[in-house]
Amino acid sequence: MKDYEVVIGLETHIQLNTQTKIFCSCKADSWEAAPNTNICPVCSGMPGVLPVLNREAVHKGALLAAAMHAEINPVSHFDRKNYFYPDLPKGYQITQFDEPIGKGGYLDLHMPDGVTRRVRIHKLHLEEDAGKTKLDHGLRLVDFNRCGVPLVEMVTEPDLRSAEEASQYLTQLRQLLRWIGVSEADMERGHLRCDANVSIRERGSQVLNTKTEIKNVNSIDAVRQAIIEETKRQIELVEAGGRVVSYTLDWDADTGKLSMMRSKETEADYRYFREPDLLPVVLTEEEITRVKAELPELPLERKARFEADYGLSAYDAEILTSERGLSDYFEAAVASFGGEAKTVSNWMMNDLSRLMNDLGKTASELVLTPALLAEIIRMVEEGKITAATGKSLLRKVEESGREPAQIVEAEGLAVIADSDALREQIQSVLDGAITEVESFRAGKESLLGWFVGQVMRATGGKADPKRTREILLELLRK
Amino acid sequence: MSLNQLSALEVAARVRAGELSAREALEASLAQIHAVDGQQGSLEQKPLDPSEEQKVHAFIRLTEDLARQQADEIDRKLSAGEDPGMLAGVPVSIKDIFTLQGIETTAASRILWNFKPPYTATSVQKLIDAGALILGKVNLDEFTFGSSSESSAFKPAPNNPWDPSRVPGGSSGGSTASVAAEEVALSLGTDTGGSIRQPAAFCGVVGVKPTYGRVSRYGLMAFSSSLDCPGPIARNVSDAALMLQVIAGNDSKDSTSSVVPTSNYLDALKEGVKGLRVGLSPDYTHLFYPDFETGELAMESIQKEISDSVQHAASVLADLGAEIVENVPLPNAKYGIPTYFVVSRVEAASNLHRFDGVKYGYRTPVEVDDLQDLIRRTRAEGFGSEVKLRILMGMYLSSEGYAANYYQRALKVRAMIRRDFDCAFDPHGEHRLDVILTPTTATTSFKRNDVFGNTVRMQYSDQMTVSANHAGLPAVSVPGGLDADNLPIGIQFIGPDFREDLILRAGYAYEQATLDEAWRSVRPAVLRQEVAK
Repeated sequence: MKDYEVVIGLETHIQLNTQTKIFCSCKADSWEAAPNTNICPVCSGMPGVLPVLNREAVHKGALLAAAMHAEINPVSHFDRKNYFYPDLPKGYQITQFDEPIGKGGYLDLHMPDGVTRRVRIHKLHLEEDAGKTKLDHGLRLVDFNRCGVPLVEMVTEPDLRSAEEASQYLTQLRQLLRWIGVSEADMERGHLRCDANVSIRERGSQVLNTKTEIKNVNSIDAVRQAIIEETKRQIELVEAGGRVVSYTLDWDADTGKLSMMRSKETEADYRYFREPDLLPVVLTEEEITRVKAELPELPLERKARFEADYGLSAYDAEILTSERGLSDYFEAAVASFGGEAKTVSNWMMNDLSRLMNDLGKTASELVLTPALLAEIIRMVEEGKITAATGKSLLRKVEESGREPAQIVEAEGLAVIADSDALREQIQSVLDGAITEVESFRAGKESLLGWFVGQVMRATGGKADPKRTREILLELLRK
Repeated sequence: MSLNQLSALEVAARVRAGELSAREALEASLAQIHAVDGQQGSLEQKPLDPSEEQKVHAFIRLTEDLARQQADEIDRKLSAGEDPGMLAGVPVSIKDIFTLQGIETTAASRILWNFKPPYTATSVQKLIDAGALILGKVNLDEFTFGSSSESSAFKPAPNNPWDPSRVPGGSSGGSTASVAAEEVALSLGTDTGGSIRQPAAFCGVVGVKPTYGRVSRYGLMAFSSSLDCPGPIARNVSDAALMLQVIAGNDSKDSTSSVVPTSNYLDALKEGVKGLRVGLSPDYTHLFYPDFETGELAMESIQKEISDSVQHAASVLADLGAEIVENVPLPNAKYGIPTYFVVSRVEAASNLHRFDGVKYGYRTPVEVDDLQDLIRRTRAEGFGSEVKLRILMGMYLSSEGYAANYYQRALKVRAMIRRDFDCAFDPHGEHRLDVILTPTTATTSFKRNDVFGNTVRMQYSDQMTVSANHAGLPAVSVPGGLDADNLPIGIQFIGPDFREDLILRAGYAYEQATLDEAWRSVRPAVLRQEVAK
């Protein structure tokens, strides 16, 4: 068999998280709404009505263009893409054709093996979404709720070379979209949709062979799997002397199989022309400057800074910059704590992250603010409470919203370092464990840990571990 | 003088002064409609009584109940001491291309025969808010595609009140016929290539095509979105100014509506024409059209009586102190129709995509194979032949491989037409015009069925009007006399962007200076018969 490489381009549709739709005042999001309840004459394409552009969509589109290192077009235009489909009630989609909001741009992929792959952006434009149709007992049903939802369509150049790269692109893109706050980027809810164009060629070759387009893939893992399947299919086909035909393929997530939807040999003619109902979209130099200024420090930049400024490992820095809210939380906690950033990182990577998982909350949703976390860590570091108490405080503060010091006070959680009180507690533990004491004295010193555990249990974790050990040894060796 | 002959200004003044109730104005208007309009346009092809041949047939649908409610509300406001609005009690008809909430809006097409929009067009709402009485929806060419109103799917099509064997022009033929026949004082029309001005000329009334963006298009079912302009139709210039005052202005629902402030059009009328520079162009004395045999551009003089009227108007204005500037070149005007053909059809084909039988309007009753079949049959059965022809041409002209040669090129010619006007109106240029005076049409009204069917000849009746649409400029057609057959002649004033005040001033000055001319006392034929009875 020859040595093949796969050539992939991704076409993504990104739902912008504006309040209202792109050309009317209906709510942009209708996830929970019953069919055809979030519509108006404009988005449902009634005759005589006119689109009015939502500037928030333009702003978010421009912000995304800036984040993709694309050039923001000072004057862009909307065009009509004409075709008949029942989920497209006007019979044309308002989109941007030859003068879109963004020109060029790229996303650098950081692959786990350390390789950086630059994926160039071929097209970045604003458009309106169409509705949905489905078959139900032989009836074709149409839901127009999604009509007019603002989208950015972003198409890459065929720069990706493996299913893993494609999945990494989507992972980084999703992170970026959430980071700059333009989209919820939830693939299962269709906020981020992806079609993959796949072709193969002999490694080293520069030609672009006939590609197929995989549609209906709604998770990052499904994109990866579908590309792997399709690559395999194309290689087997070509090896068997066949020829790849330009097809649209449908991915069935349940069976993990691809099926042919339609031939793409004859491309539809959409008869694009300028949308006469809208004026050109003008972004002044001032507005463009403002958009660029608004662009936050991006994930990769922040990750590098975390490693350099806080001495975090690449792994920790990556996790802590996986989400903007989390990284903001980290920096705020470090500032409030004032001590070693690494200590804060450890707490966040382990115990806080477990708590967030349990509660299904993001960092920015926590009641336990960065300042409160810092306070807990400080108390542990200063020996006022044990690490175990500190860990249990995380949940207590989160659930009650009370100050950590108050809880420590009210529940008597402060470390028992007072020797007499501690000695008394330890003595009563030893009194209740005659057998174990004998075994220890007979030379089974490994039982020390067990005794420490018993003391901790008896004191509710409040015993100072160092002092406990000292007193235990003293009493056991008597 | 009967109530129906009163101007809109006079009706509103009397109603506001409590001398006339809105209800009285309404009943007079309804009585006139019942006397002269005859059978309303309908999709059923009923055999017509010969007497119907002499009727106007302006209306597709009367909205008597709505109008009565409006009239009662105005009378209530008056007795409560509230302001009933500038158009209090004025009977108005609406071209059936504007939506009116809850009332069938058909575009004179079978495909929308049962469509009741849940929203009202901005211009219609403004009329209602100003106290106008909406008497009904009037007929037009299907989707406004035509210049005679004969392509309406609702038959009988309107007749010309001056000679019922002739067409009222189009596409706002129902509007101009209803105003000329004194059924209503005002009508709301639309002008894409001349659809207000040409029928206004044919019916001897005043028709204004405002600057593109001066009047909101919201609720106007689009023909060619970059050319469509709603505008007033009235029996005299001051009524047209009054109506324009009401419907003009920015609308947050129409992004292409302008934020330029509106003028006070009624006050402007009184300023006269002294010192106004009025241009005449040699490029508006002939019709240019392609010779079917050779494909070459052929030339034909316009009707002599019409050129005489234009010359006469120029001398009237000169006597009033206007400066007449002759030989103003507008060389690209002759390409107006081919350019319009391309631009309007490309936009129309796209605008008509939405009529697929899925959501509203006509749907084929035939059992269909699949979705494509549903759409295909619905459109085949729902659209008339002129509409289909325009869709086909529009699709062809914008398709890949042809768009550059036709559509893109037409846009360039459109820019050249605009540039001609920019030169003519340039305040630092050679001509420094305030308005341009031209004929509105090359001929007076033609016989029914005479031109209909010859779609190329039909559209050349818009040659004099279409350039203002390309350039987006305001223009008005005012009655300028009668020809030997007692058919009205229209003369046109074209002005710079947003200078409706200038064209109305010129029209008003001419109108007032010629009030005593003999032709002004001649009444439309359908009204003469009425008197004879």
